[in-house]
Amino acid sequence: MEMKKVGVLSLVLVLLMGILAACSGKSSSGETSGDSTEDHVTLTWYLIGTPQKDVDDVMKEVNKYTKEKINTSIDLKLLDWGEYNDRMQVITTSGEEYDIAFTSSWANNYALNARRGAFVGLNDLMDEYGKDMKKLIDPAFLEGAKIDGELYAVPTNKEVGQQAVLSFNNELVKKHGLDISKVNSIEDLEPLLAVIKEKEKNVTPIATFDAYLPFDSILQEELPFAFRLDGNTDEVVNKYEEDITMETLKTMHEYYKKGYIQKDAATSTDSWPLETANWFVRKEIYQPYAEDIWSRSAGYEIVTRELHEPYIFNNSVTGSMQAISATSKHPERAMMFLNLLNSDEYLRNLLDKGIEGVHYDENEDGTIKDLPARVENYNMPSFAIGNQLILKLYEDDPADKWEAFEKFNESAKASPALGFYFDSNPVRTEIAAISNVTSEFSPALLKGAVDPEEYLPAFNKKLDEAGMQKVLDEIQKQYDEWKKEQ
Amino acid sequence: MHLLLGTFAFLCIFPFLYVIIISLSNEQSLAENGYQLIPEQWSFEAYRYLWEMKAQVVRAYGVTILVTVLGTFISVTVIALYAYAISRKQFIFRKQFTFIAFFTMLFSGGMVPFYIVMTQFLDLKNSMWALILPMAVNAFYIIIMRTFFLRSVPEAILESARIDGAGEWRIFLTIVLPLSVPGIATIALFNTLAYWNDWFNALLFIDDPNLIPLQSLLMRIENNMDFIKQNAMLSNQNSSILESIPQDSARMAMVVIATLPIALSYPFFQKYFIKGLTIGGVKD
Repeated sequence: MEMKKVGVLSLVLVLLMGILAACSGKSSSGETSGDSTEDHVTLTWYLIGTPQKDVDDVMKEVNKYTKEKINTSIDLKLLDWGEYNDRMQVITTSGEEYDIAFTSSWANNYALNARRGAFVGLNDLMDEYGKDMKKLIDPAFLEGAKIDGELYAVPTNKEVGQQAVLSFNNELVKKHGLDISKVNSIEDLEPLLAVIKEKEKNVTPIATFDAYLPFDSILQEELPFAFRLDGNTDEVVNKYEEDITMETLKTMHEYYKKGYIQKDAATSTDSWPLETANWFVRKEIYQPYAEDIWSRSAGYEIVTRELHEPYIFNNSVTGSMQAISATSKHPERAMMFLNLLNSDEYLRNLLDKGIEGVHYDENEDGTIKDLPARVENYNMPSFAIGNQLILKLYEDDPADKWEAFEKFNESAKASPALGFYFDSNPVRTEIAAISNVTSEFSPALLKGAVDPEEYLPAFNKKLDEAGMQKVLDEIQKQYDEWKKEQ
Repeated sequence: MHLLLGTFAFLCIFPFLYVIIISLSNEQSLAENGYQLIPEQWSFEAYRYLWEMKAQVVRAYGVTILVTVLGTFISVTVIALYAYAISRKQFIFRKQFTFIAFFTMLFSGGMVPFYIVMTQFLDLKNSMWALILPMAVNAFYIIIMRTFFLRSVPEAILESARIDGAGEWRIFLTIVLPLSVPGIATIALFNTLAYWNDWFNALLFIDDPNLIPLQSLLMRIENNMDFIKQNAMLSNQNSSILESIPQDSARMAMVVIATLPIALSYPFFQKYFIKGLTIGGVKD
């Protein structure tokens, strides 16, 4: 009986294998052609963004051009925002063959994948085939994105610094004659909020935001491990134990008690759409002329005040990148394409804005305006594709927009931990526990919904129990080693 | 008792009514007042929005209906045949085949092997079959159906059919099937629901916007919304990203159109459902 069972089982297994093998007779792609472009190659490119109707038409044009230039066709696959992360994770772990993928600090995690060996190291490829783009991309990007000296993805050239600003609904500012020129921190908001609270019944003074804290966070923003931006910047700390955190959160809670912040702030996931003018102040991440963009999409004027000078963080240099997959059969060709994408104005604009005459019209002075087809059928995530500073300007863009970006980048200050990528493997369990504790406490604390004098100590106690010190020690150890090599 | 049941029924229906109300609310008043039972302003804006993207919605509807009908038919066929075979004592390997089905309920390969088999061996990426085949065989339903066949199809009837000279197919089609309508209908309903509600397979295997089913479209919109909210920096980079995603009322309107047809089809199954489930649920 036993034997019979085993026999039948193995028979079924053999049959199954046969079926699988029969179906897997996939066409194998052409041989690697070294560095020449003799053979025609098709590259698969995964990009984040909502699939667009006109993508096929545009890609036809793109392929015409890339075929002529580097004898390459591109098979672009757009994966929607919400699913990009999960999909890329499965694709990477399953060892699927693809050539280029979008990667960043917030989706398809760059540092994690690079460490895991999912991406090809690009230093040599870049020197050989990426010369044109290397000249154009801000060196801070190329340096800051290196992990242990090796670059694993081509960063998008855009604003390199990160700057949190408070933005104000200017209608209300003007209406009540408020002076925002003296607002440099969350504390300075008090008198203005009081006026709004008293005189505008239908306005929530603060559009719920997390308090700004002056730290460079390791891993995610909410997690406690961070480097200070002032003072002793070489020591990793639990930012929830710092005095400045207590001060800031107290102010936030004060505002909450006074009714400046909505009651459900801690749990609400409501967005505060700009088009609805039911808010007075909010926190945003800035880039040059962002207030113009915001004002345009809001339909009323928005003005900003900066909370700090722009800093270059790991998260900002790895905000948008293209990596070459370790499973790629044609890494050289992929690099040639990325080089073209980041340095060739025609190709870059074609991918971003679509086809001239169909998706946009060009004015005599070289600026462009969108046609309805672009708004409806070809709305690409500009910042995710590549070098932004060679894009054509819209007719209502300021003429010096890209110069302003360059100036902004020059003014940005490097964070002490720029270029330090923590390998979290040795303390994975502790980080998981800490991250649980954090997601329990941090939303309510950072949004001002609970009293920090009561909850911060409780939070920190739980963090300690979850193994905080062990993680801090590990980070410090790795940081010191990294620092020595700089 | 009536009052109690009535209250309970109302509690079940209420969330859905609420969704309908929100879908009919004015977006502006939603942003200002949050969800309200009686909105300040009614509006058909959300449905107008869906009407504008009707090409996509209609296509998604088409995919869902096709997958549901075809999938239900295929899976009911496979399950009934499999279950019938292992329910008959004359079939020598019935223990082994029961075990093979049962085994998959205890152990599964996991997501990555599943993905590898589907994309690299079967090459089903971006194919309608990727939505149908993974759910075609369900071990649990096989077990239920087997029990059902054992209980409701007496061996004596089959015996007499055999004496009259009927072959296996003929017995199955003209005697076993008509006797098992409640069981089959129950399994069919389960499968219909499963196919109608499935979004996960589409998430894994479908990039082609022409092949996205309704639930997956809904899921995508929801996920995008969450994702963009969590990554606030994104909305600043490209304000158009947020604009391209429907707001609250439109999302609720999508829930309504995605749920209504299947909710309405339920009464037609119901008379089989009660009988089928009780019989099929008893294990010998």
